[in-house]
This record gives sequence, structure tokens and C-alpha cells, in this order.
Amino acid sequence: MKLTDYIEPEHIILNLEGTDKREVIEELVEHMSEHCDRCDADTIFEAVLKRERDGSTGLEKGVAIPHAKCDAVDRLRIVVGVSKKGVDFEAQDGQPSHLFFLMIAPTNESGPHVQAIAKIVKMIKVPGFREKLLKADRPEKIIDAMERVENGEE
Amino acid sequence: MSNPLGTILLYIDGSESSITAAQFAISMAKSYGSALRVIYVVNENLLSELLKAKVFVQMEKMDYERDLEEDGKRYLNYIVKLAGRKGLNVDTVLRKGVVHEEVAHEADGCAADILVQGELGEVLSLRDSFYEEGERILRKVKCPVLVVRGRDRIERMFEDL
Repeated sequence: MKLTDYIEPEHIILNLEGTDKREVIEELVEHMSEHCDRCDADTIFEAVLKRERDGSTGLEKGVAIPHAKCDAVDRLRIVVGVSKKGVDFEAQDGQPSHLFFLMIAPTNESGPHVQAIAKIVKMIKVPGFREKLLKADRPEKIIDAMERVENGEE
Repeated sequence: MSNPLGTILLYIDGSESSITAAQFAISMAKSYGSALRVIYVVNENLLSELLKAKVFVQMEKMDYERDLEEDGKRYLNYIVKLAGRKGLNVDTVLRKGVVHEEVAHEADGCAADILVQGELGEVLSLRDSFYEEGERILRKVKCPVLVVRGRDRIERMFEDL
């Protein structure tokens, strides 16, 4: 599976405005609902919050991968968000999170969901990748950076 | 002389390319009178890595594992039906673990004469090759491996079978 097949420029928020975990999740979910067909924001929001209650998806080095399975989407949906100032997402290293990958998959489509999450985890380990996403001034630059890593050009 | 393709082992992962590989393997088995065995492996290793990275919590990992197992059963049943349409019986194997190791183990266990698998990942960089299961299987198994490409042509061939 190719991650960038699931991400269009309109699925990217360059300047997240939320100042806490709940607000950021809300913003990402609203964006997904507005820009993806057949996505019910309330159901997704509840599913993501429920997952976060089991344990934060805030990883290290400013990256968070909030995710959930629910039937409010018809296929795997991804929204990428960037917060310049950073948000306390209860990350593993206690540092503010800047890059958010919201990933929602229907309950009967776990395979692509797991693969997509694993790909993000690999990508964020590539030197310079996170910095490129943080500096991007256009959504296309984020997609380009992801594509380059997927193509092995970085 | 014994049949050089007496046992064909087919590896599927549910992708489109593994369905193409299945069509080709069924055609081969029909043509050469081979036994066809199909394997799907729940990638338990990947789930464990995501748990270790704290992307998943334990309950969630178990939940995904169950889902992937159900996916595997569904994919294997689909291949059984696909082969049945051509009058061929197949054996199925569902395993959990490290994908390339399980496939290699099965290939040894059933004394496969050839392993058939779908196209390797469309994008294959050196970095990805460390993670791409098709690539790992190719390197790990001891028997000959056939990587199937050319979906349109194989689909036509399968329909004509």
C-alpha cells in the first residue's frame, strides 16, 4: 500500500489552531469530516477520544498518531496536521507534539490501517523528514516529502 | 521422472497482486497436475513492533490480531472458491508470526517445489526492502520462487482456463 494514495492536499492542515489535546483532535476530525465523503464527525471524535483514554498516541519527537476503527468512514481516511507552537498530547517523552496523523479505518479494513500506521512510524524515523513537514508552507510540500520517503529518495 | 512441480505453495496477503498470483498458481496447478497449498500469515511481528513503539495498547493489538486473522480466513476462502471454479481443490494454511519465517517454514514442511507470490511492493527502495515481506520471503525460502506480474494478461488466461 502507498500512503500518499490516501492523502490529498485538502487533507492537510498547515496551521492547527487547537491549544490542547481535545481541541486538536476536534480540529483534525472536523477537517476529515469536511473533506472526506461519508465521514461522521461525532462518531469519529468519540472513537478517537475512547482510544486516547486507553493510552495516548503521542509518540516521541513531536509526533502523534491519533487513530481509531469505526464505521463512520467508508475506507481508510487520513488527515495530517501541523501545529507550529506544539500541543501537550501526553507524549511519551513529555515534549509538545507538532505533527499529527489522524488515521481512521472502518472496522472491516484492519489490514491497510495497520500497514499505514506502520509506514508513518517508519517515516518519522527518517532523518530530516519531520523538519521538512514542520517547515512546509504548502500542503503539496508535505505530500512531496512523504512521497520522496516512500520512493526511497530520501 | 517425478513431477518437478508436484507441490506449489502460494503465498497471499490479500493484495490485488496476490490474487493475480493465485490465478497464475491455479493455472499452473491445473496444467501440471500439481497439488496447490495456500498460506496466509497474520503479521504478528508488525503488531508487536507497533505495541513496542507504544502506538498500540495491548488490548488494541489483540483486537487487530483477531481482525487480521478473520481477514486471512476470508482471503483463503476466496482462493478456495476461485480454484473450485476451475475444478481444483486446494489446501489452506493460516499462520501467525513473522511472515517470511512462517512462509519459509511451510515451504520446507510441505516440501514445496515452487513458491508463487505476487509482485513485490510497487515502490522498492533499499530502506523498504528491509520491511517488504515479499522481498524477505524471496531471500528466505530455499525452493524456487516465482514472482507473478502482468495482471491483465493473467486475468485473461485465467478466464480462458
